[in-house]
Amino acid sequence: MNVALGVWPARWTRQQRSTATIAASAALLVLFMWGVAKPLSWLPDPIGPVAEEFASGTRVTVWLTLASGLSGIAIGVLSAVAKLAPFPPIRWAADLYVWAVRGTPLLVQVLFVYFALPAIVPGLQLSDFSSAVVALAVNVGAYNAEAIRAGIVAVPKGQTEAARALGLSPVQTFRDVVFPQAFKIALPPLVNNVVALLKDSSLAYVIGVVELSNVGNRLQAATFEPVPTLATTATIYLVLTTVLTRISGAIEQRLDVEQRR
Amino acid sequence: MSLVHPAPSPTAERPPLIVAEGVNKHFGAAHVLRDVTTRFYEGEVAVIIGASGSGKSTFLRTLNRLEKHDSGRIVVDGIELDDSVRNLDAIRREVGMVFQQFNLFPHLTALENVALAPRRVRGAPRGEAIRAALELLTRVGLADHVRKHPFQLSGGQQQRVAIARALAMNPKVLLFDEPTSALDPEMINEVLDVMKDLARSGMTMIVVTHEMRFAREVGDRILFFDHGELLQDAPVDEFFERQRNDRIRAFLGQITH
Repeated sequence: MNVALGVWPARWTRQQRSTATIAASAALLVLFMWGVAKPLSWLPDPIGPVAEEFASGTRVTVWLTLASGLSGIAIGVLSAVAKLAPFPPIRWAADLYVWAVRGTPLLVQVLFVYFALPAIVPGLQLSDFSSAVVALAVNVGAYNAEAIRAGIVAVPKGQTEAARALGLSPVQTFRDVVFPQAFKIALPPLVNNVVALLKDSSLAYVIGVVELSNVGNRLQAATFEPVPTLATTATIYLVLTTVLTRISGAIEQRLDVEQRR
Repeated sequence: MSLVHPAPSPTAERPPLIVAEGVNKHFGAAHVLRDVTTRFYEGEVAVIIGASGSGKSTFLRTLNRLEKHDSGRIVVDGIELDDSVRNLDAIRREVGMVFQQFNLFPHLTALENVALAPRRVRGAPRGEAIRAALELLTRVGLADHVRKHPFQLSGGQQQRVAIARALAMNPKVLLFDEPTSALDPEMINEVLDVMKDLARSGMTMIVVTHEMRFAREVGDRILFFDHGELLQDAPVDEFFERQRNDRIRAFLGQITH
């Protein structure tokens, strides 16, 4: 990531350079989501004519990842706090959740939310997209919980003592002192989880979400040309994971005020 | 902010700021505080000394309830320390603490470290809290370092930020838990100088330390802890010049070598 930061003027602070990298990568992502149809349309059959479908599948994949990724981080923080709660039943509930989610296949979870949940909760009407977001968020949330819990535990006890001695409430102590430090520690594993999530979002395909894998698979079936269609699909995933890794690397740099890396 | 209290007259009958009565504390089977009874008055500098493991830091930490006492009473500024959370918050606003390991918040600048508690706990507007923090950091000689993060500061500078951070809440009493023990020798004096200035300004201070010169020079009285017991509580000149207790004389002999 130092390479990415190196393109900015040397007189900028590290903070400014990492912020610039985050902004540039986010802009690149947006550009890619709406602009990828253009270069794809220049390609010969069977890709050129369906460029727009690939582009729209890409957008759905990114939305799935963003929506479930952000909710997954929120779920992860809540579960991590619950895992460390002084009241045992709250800890048990969080442990049960993590245990159940990590012990069952994501595919089953996606199918469960789409088909079984409406049967259990009458009146619940979730679209295929929303069901996929819920399943993915609940799934990644369990993995995030472990990462964030480890981060919270790694913050020295003296930090909490100093904050409490100053009169900060437990909530303020967590929000202003413990969490920012814990999040920094948890960031590398969280990034792994989100990159995995981007790829796992392809499982939304089984409940009919027209995301990138779904588009690729339908086109290879329709055209009988698996090589170009699936190679295009894979390449788009690769671009997305690369941009995502770059953004998170820059966030890591930004939080790393001690310049350890 | 006003930190200058009227000079206390030694003979006047003043209500104590902190009362500890029959305080006991166990860590598992270890009886670390045994029936500790004492009082602290406004404007005084009390120095707590004793061998490591004597319970002196534990006692200090019971005064803002970083450690709970098992039995006995602790009353700070008229408020009893018990399990009532409201009492605890009220007391922690009045009692500042400086730690051996500084415990600055590493993700915040020196300025933000000092301004955080006034903003969150007292609800001070950002601009006001920042101005007050600047003033305090200038007072401890760090005006040129306010935008730095803790890792960019020396140990002595970090500890001075920590003192400014504690002062920012305008506490009635400051607790120091071996504030110079983690410092390189050449940085000890810069911290002690700040503490001496504070003492001269009339700040009420309770200091756990091994710095005997500081104790003699600044302290009003010395509390000597031994195996969890408050063995002696004496005015500073009596403690150092007319010490009769053999155990304490032996301790002083070792430490001043």
